Amino acid sequence: MAEDLVLDTAIRDWVLIPLSVVMVLIGVLRYFVSKLMRSDQVPDVKIVKEGQLITRARNLRAAANFIPAKSFRARKHYYSNEENGLLHVPKGQAQNPQAQMFSDPNMAMDMMKKNLSMIIPQTLTFAWVNFFFSGFVAAKIPFPLTQRFRAMLQNGIDLSTVDVSYVSSRSWYFLNLFGLRGLFSLILGEDNATDDTQRMMQMGGFGFDPTRSLGAEKDNLDIVQHDWALPKFEQRAESVLKKLVQQ
Amino acid sequence: MAVHDDSNGQKKKSSDALDEIPTFNVENMQNNTRIINYSRTFMSIIGGVIAGILGYTALTGFIFYFVIMAITTVGLAAKTGFAVHSFFDSWNQIVFDGILGGLLSFVLFWTFAYDMVHIF
Repeated sequence: MAEDLVLDTAIRDWVLIPLSVVMVLIGVLRYFVSKLMRSDQVPDVKIVKEGQLITRARNLRAAANFIPAKSFRARKHYYSNEENGLLHVPKGQAQNPQAQMFSDPNMAMDMMKKNLSMIIPQTLTFAWVNFFFSGFVAAKIPFPLTQRFRAMLQNGIDLSTVDVSYVSSRSWYFLNLFGLRGLFSLILGEDNATDDTQRMMQMGGFGFDPTRSLGAEKDNLDIVQHDWALPKFEQRAESVLKKLVQQ
Repeated sequence: MAVHDDSNGQKKKSSDALDEIPTFNVENMQNNTRIINYSRTFMSIIGGVIAGILGYTALTGFIFYFVIMAITTVGLAAKTGFAVHSFFDSWNQIVFDGILGGLLSFVLFWTFAYDMVHIF
């Protein structure tokens, strides 16, 4: 550290605190706006059915060892026989998810709303920060960093002599943008709409094909090794109960 | 730790009855994991503010963070009555989960409090 900069306390009162408070409030506002804009579309009956079916099959797979072999075989047959098993998808009937997406304008609309609710506030806040707070040295991180971080932390001030640990106001905005996620998950609940990275992931996995997951679940069910866990549970229960009675 | 909800958040393992068959409730386990994450986030924010107010810099602050996380781990373990395996898969989960995730929050609040108190 060459020499310490003396920062005006007015910068704290009029840049650092307002900026941080505004970031928190905008996060909260975004959460509620996206909650308002979320349309409660009626889900497609077929898709819901398939989802429930997969859940049922998964439950059977998870609890397979707690039912007798005969019962398990019967249930397995019900789900995965080749003629009319629930999980069996006839060939050629699988529909293209891409086509399905385009045939449903609601879906695209919803996506767009979500995206807009993400992009618009960020652009606006960034513009606002640029307009009001550009060029301040707003903060100083309490640990030293190498020169490489200069572009990240001193975005907006072009002084190569200032120590890297000083943070410009614009970079403070970015730090807030990423660092407040933890706070939001505390004050808004786990599934708050501000979690951008998660939304990206969802967008990536959008071409979700229900028929394929049906097939996968069928394969999973087929390879389950049934091994009844409770062959002697009646005797065991008897002994436990006896012990209880004796006490 | 104020974020514990213990009423339904327990994975009950039927301990002696069914030997060696792992039985657990997926929802409860997810709930437990969520509680870990909440606790860690909460502690990292509080720890950041404390570190900032105390004026820790550089390595001291990071050591403080890991001390805080260790305290959180002990607290969580105490909350389970040191029977970690009836609530979680392994010790790893209770010791390491969410430590990196909380670091960013910690740094942010550390910086904020440090600047408030010591820089200006």
